Amino acid sequence: MFTYLTRLWDIRHFWLSLVRMDLRTRYRRSVLGLGWSLLQPLTMTLVLCVVFAHFVKVDVRDYVPHLLTGLVCWNFLVACSVQGCQSFFLGEQYIRQTPLPLGVYPLRTAIGAVFHLSMGLLVLLLVTGILRGPASPYAYLSLLPSLALLFVFGWSVAVLAGTANVFFQDTQHLAEVGFQILFYLTPIIYRVEDLAGHQLGWLLQLNPVVPFLQLVRTPLLYGTPPSIGVLAAACGLTAVAVIAASATLRKMQDTLVFYL
Amino acid sequence: MALIELDQVHLEFKVRQFKRLTLKEFVIRGMFSRSANPVMHVHALKGVSLRVTEGERLGILGHNGAGKSTLLKLLAGVYPPTAGQRRVVGRISSLFDIALGFEPDSNGWDNIFNRGYLQGETPQSIRGKVDQIAEFSELGQFLDMPVRYYSAGMMVRLAFSIATAIEPEILIVDEVLSVGDLAFQQKAARRIREMMAKARLIVMVSHDLESLINLSTRCIWLDHGSIKLEGAPAEVVHAYQHYFAPTAAAA
Repeated sequence: MFTYLTRLWDIRHFWLSLVRMDLRTRYRRSVLGLGWSLLQPLTMTLVLCVVFAHFVKVDVRDYVPHLLTGLVCWNFLVACSVQGCQSFFLGEQYIRQTPLPLGVYPLRTAIGAVFHLSMGLLVLLLVTGILRGPASPYAYLSLLPSLALLFVFGWSVAVLAGTANVFFQDTQHLAEVGFQILFYLTPIIYRVEDLAGHQLGWLLQLNPVVPFLQLVRTPLLYGTPPSIGVLAAACGLTAVAVIAASATLRKMQDTLVFYL
Repeated sequence: MALIELDQVHLEFKVRQFKRLTLKEFVIRGMFSRSANPVMHVHALKGVSLRVTEGERLGILGHNGAGKSTLLKLLAGVYPPTAGQRRVVGRISSLFDIALGFEPDSNGWDNIFNRGYLQGETPQSIRGKVDQIAEFSELGQFLDMPVRYYSAGMMVRLAFSIATAIEPEILIVDEVLSVGDLAFQQKAARRIREMMAKARLIVMVSHDLESLINLSTRCIWLDHGSIKLEGAPAEVVHAYQHYFAPTAAAA
């Protein structure tokens, strides 16, 4: 594992330049540049706020940060899985020419996604700071390890999604459909408490996305670091994903090229 | 020290008749019936043993599908041997699928850097070479344009210029002696010779038998995945010509 990471580090110039090109191409296309990727969660928040404030009683000061954190984190996980599906095909031309550690290609996807996540979090810091006042320094500090955890989780998910897509060409399509369903099973537009006492409340306990959402939500909304339980759950899920991803990479390193 | 050693190397891989499965298909077929999308086995290399040492220039010839390119990719480490041993000492640079490996939406300059990094350059080392690469490619202001808009010839020019800007220990070349238009071809041939003079070990595949005789020190003739003949370039080339056109070779 350590030698694998050193090998990845040795070729850092290569994947960094891929990420740089990806970001530059993406932002060159639009006048708004960086703002464009933030526009989607912001508009969605605005629309939902207007709609929900109309027929449900929500406090905008609570609801806006809640919704926006949910959307920003959700978008990150979807990007890692859905774009991750294409990661090996995007790198096909390199895979066919040079034997590099395969983890590079999902890494390219994950770094791009984590960049957008960080931008989203910066906006969130601003929004929550204005609406709810600044949180404790510990709360802000806890965001850094959380971000690292999300990144590792997202990278592993991208590895798994990319490999699955090489073998089953409808993976990306199925993932998109699956995420659309999961969206409504995830406390993004509603709160965990809203389902408390409901028959289906237990579903949220099983949802693997929830701990990662709380990792970011608790510090930003309640001004405290996330609870040990949440942290443990997120670490556990990440560990499982990392183990699965490294096993996959080890198995596929030599043979993936035959399936492309 | 540069060295390539293959000991009884086999390469076998599976391909599916209809490329890839869908998950739906997999689940349904798995439950009801098999073999609608049969797996076919390709035995591309059969017991190839080879030893190429420092200073040698090995030419490989053979008909289409004989396993030449597969052998090169195996040497480069892209394909792992299914059985047998592969040992390579020295840094490998390979020139195959030369027009591949570009990011289409990025411009020529960005792609020069990216491919340089892929070949193991660092930001410091590539900076000194960028101008030389740009000059050799003769692409001028086209380098500011996304590679997507390049013609095939322009892409080959750029790829060739980047790939040959390095000083390799082991050079693996697949049919790149005929790149670009006539003017560029002559320039490219010169560049290849310069590179060959610098590289410590070369393995090349070509259908241009004349240049194989001129450039290599030893030749192998690959036939259906195994070595049919090995020896001095002229000797192997003649045997090869004779095999395919006995009368023409005799004349």
